[in-house]
Amino acid sequence: MSTCAHSWSMTDVRSGYLVVEGCYHCGARSSFFSTEPVVPIDEYREGPHFWEHLAGYQAVTFNLRCDTCGETVDLRDMMGLMLSTCDDPRCEVGRLSLELGKKTSIYVALCADSSHATGACVSDVGVAALTEYFNQRLRSGRRKIVVVPCKMCDRIDRCKGIVIADTGLTEFY
Amino acid sequence: MKISEVVEKTGLEALNSWEDEDLAGVYISDMVSDIITGANGCGLLLTLQTHKSLIAAANLVDVGAVVFAHDKRPPQDVVELADKAGIALFTTPADTWSYAVKLFELGMR
Repeated sequence: MSTCAHSWSMTDVRSGYLVVEGCYHCGARSSFFSTEPVVPIDEYREGPHFWEHLAGYQAVTFNLRCDTCGETVDLRDMMGLMLSTCDDPRCEVGRLSLELGKKTSIYVALCADSSHATGACVSDVGVAALTEYFNQRLRSGRRKIVVVPCKMCDRIDRCKGIVIADTGLTEFY
Repeated sequence: MKISEVVEKTGLEALNSWEDEDLAGVYISDMVSDIITGANGCGLLLTLQTHKSLIAAANLVDVGAVVFAHDKRPPQDVVELADKAGIALFTTPADTWSYAVKLFELGMR
């Protein structure tokens, strides 16, 4: 385990599109990051799924690198960040929001598979590094930032929040 | 430079209640994906965008004040979100470039 008090910076910043697809057969959602010059909108079959294009947002992906020790945290498993506005006590994120109060903003790190069928989500290491990084950027002392993985949401496709993406249709309700 | 000084010297109209604080610099962008990678804490953000996602990004990187150019005004739910985040919102009739020049002439960088 590292003993470094990391000082994180963004690295490997890549511009592209966050592409969201849905399976019209089972209702699953999936997303991926594309660096193609235009948003891919092809429909295709993958195993039991029939993926169709739902949305494409201009976005960036990045990794975090510690300026002190050089450790890099790979965040390719994170598709985006969503400011949670959930206050549902049945949801773990909602409960955390109620517990931490108004001075703490909770951001949900969104992974590619919102159904979490495989159990995979944004890594614990990534979530911890994101929390440290964004708190290190704060100067005002007005608030704290807590980043949580999207698997913590009761139902991510019904979770209330505002996705940070360059589009007008960025809210999940 | 304090927010109050910028308001007074550049003729900003406040869109919500705000508390005075030092502004550490200026960032100009209309893309939230750019804001989260480039904007600095406690800075002034000059933009044309008025949607909720802008506030979600500004809150994440601790933007101190947002100025909407071209007399743009966000919808009420965006103002309410900024209130919750403690982010001051202002509008100016100036276009982005003209307002940026005003800030530069004030010594802001």
